[in-house]
Amino acid sequence: MPSSSLALTPGLGSFLKCLKTNPIDTSIETLISLLKRRQIRHSRSCATATAYLLRSVISACRTTDSAKLIERVQSVGRRLMAAQPREMVVGNIVRRVLGLIRDEAEDDRDAEFALSDIGSESQPQTPRAYDDASLPLDRDSPSFRAEDRSSRPPLTSMFSLLSHPEPENSLPSTPGSSSPSGRFASHGPSKDVRAEVLEGIGEIIDELGQVDDQIAAYALDHIHSNEIILTHTSSTTVQKFLLKAAAKRKFTVIHAESYPNNHEATHATVSGSAVSDDDNLGLEAFQKPLIEHGITVILIPDSAVFALMSRVNKVILGTHSVLANGGLVAAAGTRVIARAAKVHQTPVVVVSGVYKLSPVYPFDFDSLIEYGDPSKVLPYEEGDLVDLVDVQNPIYDYVPAELVDLYITNLGGHAPSYLYRIVSDHYRKEDISF
Amino acid sequence: MAEPSNAAPTAPVSPPASSTPEQAQPATENPPQTLPIRDSKPTQPTGDAPASTDGATDKPLTPAELKKKAKADKAARRIREKLEREGNNTTSSAAPPPSVGAQPRQPTTPKKDAAGTGSAQKGPRAPPPRRGSGPVAQNGSVLVEQKKKKDDKKVAVFGHLYGQQRRVTVGGATKEVHPAILALGMQLVDYTICGSSARCVATLLAFKRVIESYTTPMGTSLARHLTTHLSSQITYLSTCRPLSISQGNAIRALKLFIAGIDPSTPEASAKISLCEYIDSFIREKITVADQVIADSAAQKVQDGDVIVTFAGSSIVKHTLLLAHNQGKRFRVSIIDSRPLFEGKSLARDLAKSGLDVQYSLVHSITHAVKDATKVFLGAHAMTSNGGLYSRVGTALVAMSAKERASGVEIPVIVCCETIKFTDRVALDSIVVNEIADANELLPMDPPVSLLVPTPDAYAPPTPENKKGGNRTPAPEPPVIPHKTSSSPLADWHNTPNLQLLNIMYDVTPAEYVDMVITEMGSLPPSAVPIVHRMVTNL
Repeated sequence: MPSSSLALTPGLGSFLKCLKTNPIDTSIETLISLLKRRQIRHSRSCATATAYLLRSVISACRTTDSAKLIERVQSVGRRLMAAQPREMVVGNIVRRVLGLIRDEAEDDRDAEFALSDIGSESQPQTPRAYDDASLPLDRDSPSFRAEDRSSRPPLTSMFSLLSHPEPENSLPSTPGSSSPSGRFASHGPSKDVRAEVLEGIGEIIDELGQVDDQIAAYALDHIHSNEIILTHTSSTTVQKFLLKAAAKRKFTVIHAESYPNNHEATHATVSGSAVSDDDNLGLEAFQKPLIEHGITVILIPDSAVFALMSRVNKVILGTHSVLANGGLVAAAGTRVIARAAKVHQTPVVVVSGVYKLSPVYPFDFDSLIEYGDPSKVLPYEEGDLVDLVDVQNPIYDYVPAELVDLYITNLGGHAPSYLYRIVSDHYRKEDISF
Repeated sequence: MAEPSNAAPTAPVSPPASSTPEQAQPATENPPQTLPIRDSKPTQPTGDAPASTDGATDKPLTPAELKKKAKADKAARRIREKLEREGNNTTSSAAPPPSVGAQPRQPTTPKKDAAGTGSAQKGPRAPPPRRGSGPVAQNGSVLVEQKKKKDDKKVAVFGHLYGQQRRVTVGGATKEVHPAILALGMQLVDYTICGSSARCVATLLAFKRVIESYTTPMGTSLARHLTTHLSSQITYLSTCRPLSISQGNAIRALKLFIAGIDPSTPEASAKISLCEYIDSFIREKITVADQVIADSAAQKVQDGDVIVTFAGSSIVKHTLLLAHNQGKRFRVSIIDSRPLFEGKSLARDLAKSGLDVQYSLVHSITHAVKDATKVFLGAHAMTSNGGLYSRVGTALVAMSAKERASGVEIPVIVCCETIKFTDRVALDSIVVNEIADANELLPMDPPVSLLVPTPDAYAPPTPENKKGGNRTPAPEPPVIPHKTSSSPLADWHNTPNLQLLNIMYDVTPAEYVDMVITEMGSLPPSAVPIVHRMVTNL
């Protein structure tokens, strides 16, 4: 593994480092193995890694044909998704990149359609006819041109309307420019496809970096003074959301520790000693914890959620991924919390970046659930017991849409029933199952 | 019931480490489990207070801390001046505290504490004006700061439950307290004896020994004096851990019986009849009751059932073992929770008897309940409005059973002796509850930190990374090194605004309970007050 030589722990940091130096195929393999071994875990890290990988895949791809690009991205995407099918953000990012390529390709086609006459039927003939006609034309004197033009309209009627002024303009300057410009019109944009797609991926990466702050911007609409907020796990999105509100308002946070899968991170988050693991790129490490903003944080074991729910004003949850039906896959224990909130008529707010929104309609909920290390539930020191009993440690819970009252994404707040619209805005139909 | 195997590793870890500095000290309400820094007890003997300040100043203080300290000093001075202005009568009334270890101190402590929390609920920052004026006058700044810190650690909603702190050593007990009670107290504190019925039985047995060694003093009768003698034992027990409902009911019955003894009965025969009464009480209300309940509950188990249970209830264990012995084939799914992990011993007992056991934690309730057919729950108590008062987390299990995604409700069956019925009512888990020491929540299993070296390896660099701005620099060294050294929570007592809440019970609403199996038959939860009345009138 090249990554192990670069960094102590394989993860997003080491992957991004080796992405710059290693050949692209090695990088793909690296990410696949990282995903398979769960050395890259948080949805955002996975999304970032995928976006960076696809950027290098596309920049390494020397083709100008958008169809080939799509094919290449699809094949890489399929391998990544096969490596970790439950990490839906990987698929989401791949789909968005595919959507980008398709958009650019279509824009080109539109542009070409507008500028040069690429009617789908006439395309094979026209350039040839054009070239054949124009090559001799270059050498010929401009006087022949009018005659030449008059012969063209029978071929393409649409083009004549738009292109008529152009030859007139180009006439005085350079006689040869007209035909090369035609050439550029057909080839230039396809070269652009790659550049624009790369730019688009850059935007996705930027979005991934800013998404938490964008979501946090809505915090003051939802958290008011003296409220009691309950949350769960050490989601950075939730923390930023609360921090933003903490700057202006005083409230109380009850934090369920999400034992056994995430309690250490939760403890660190709560006490403000979060270790800057390289998955978070050290961005959050410089954040002040809530307690330093004068916010009272009460850490409780997960079992006490029901007992305290009667005093909670709002439940704010982070998530692993959001599904198109408005349900979500989140850390185990979320579902009971959401259910307890429902029973107590407490609103449940889910904060999530749009990148976590997956165009997946779940039918088999069990297939979404990942199971983790059972020794966290029953450590091997209890060897006699481990032998005898069956131990389960699910990592995720599926939370049905009816338990969620509101989603806050970087685009704003949405009802769970509206999410399918956002899905169709972000992913193209043809990419949903690629 | 008693799970020495599971309680043993947690409790004895701490005392050897921190009990040594405490030994010289007469007041022993300071729990040794707590870190030495946390001398936040308001009844601190004044001789000890300077020592604790030294301990605090040993650490390098950050500028922020110094500022805070200066601020606290100032606040304390103001309070002191104010108090002196108000009059010296309060100071003189609170002067006795030098004899902190004396018994009369004991009952006053909780009262004062309660007053303190009452005011803390409104604003934890505001130093309560009346209380502890004596110590304030002597060493104001430290005590006020400690007080503030202590209030800061109390969850406001549960302010009414913080009344008294659990006693952790036998020191400070009066000579009236019987050794059996002293021993029982310690067993209650470290959860060696845990569970409502176990505690009840143990208490009654200890009382039996108290009665056996009891002689009526001259000039009074057994019926009159024994009650007060027992009361001091009970007071002691309740400082170890608040009495359970079952203990309370048993004590009430016992006192009633003592009061009914004819004063002319000779002492020896009165004692014999008392002991017999206790024995028959245990037999009737618990031993036989358990058998009856297990019998009828086991009938509810059918072949192919998947039975979910939460934590470790002795009566559920009896039921399941009985059903297994009757040859029924079923699967048991045990849901357990932090910090007591009572389900582990249940899982061990059941698995060793050959049952098919699945073990999971609270986070996977949804998964455990998914294919369940019945839920069996134990109870700490049943409230008069039908609520099930049981180990915290029970409500989540019952709720999940009632609201499964498939829409099929799973019957929730509670096994509960009538001695656990109470006439109290509880709308939610905040009205009645018990707050356990929050330090139990600190992850403190050294084997885990040994096996997983990564957090240890990465923990030390963090304070440096953060330029020491966010926390006191290097808080680990002064803390007991072998315990929770890697945990970010190790220093939570000194982290402002951070609170840990470790409640022990929650109330499951009556609508989640389908059936309560008692020794008097199977009832709906709404029948609890009626049965309770019948039982107490007997």
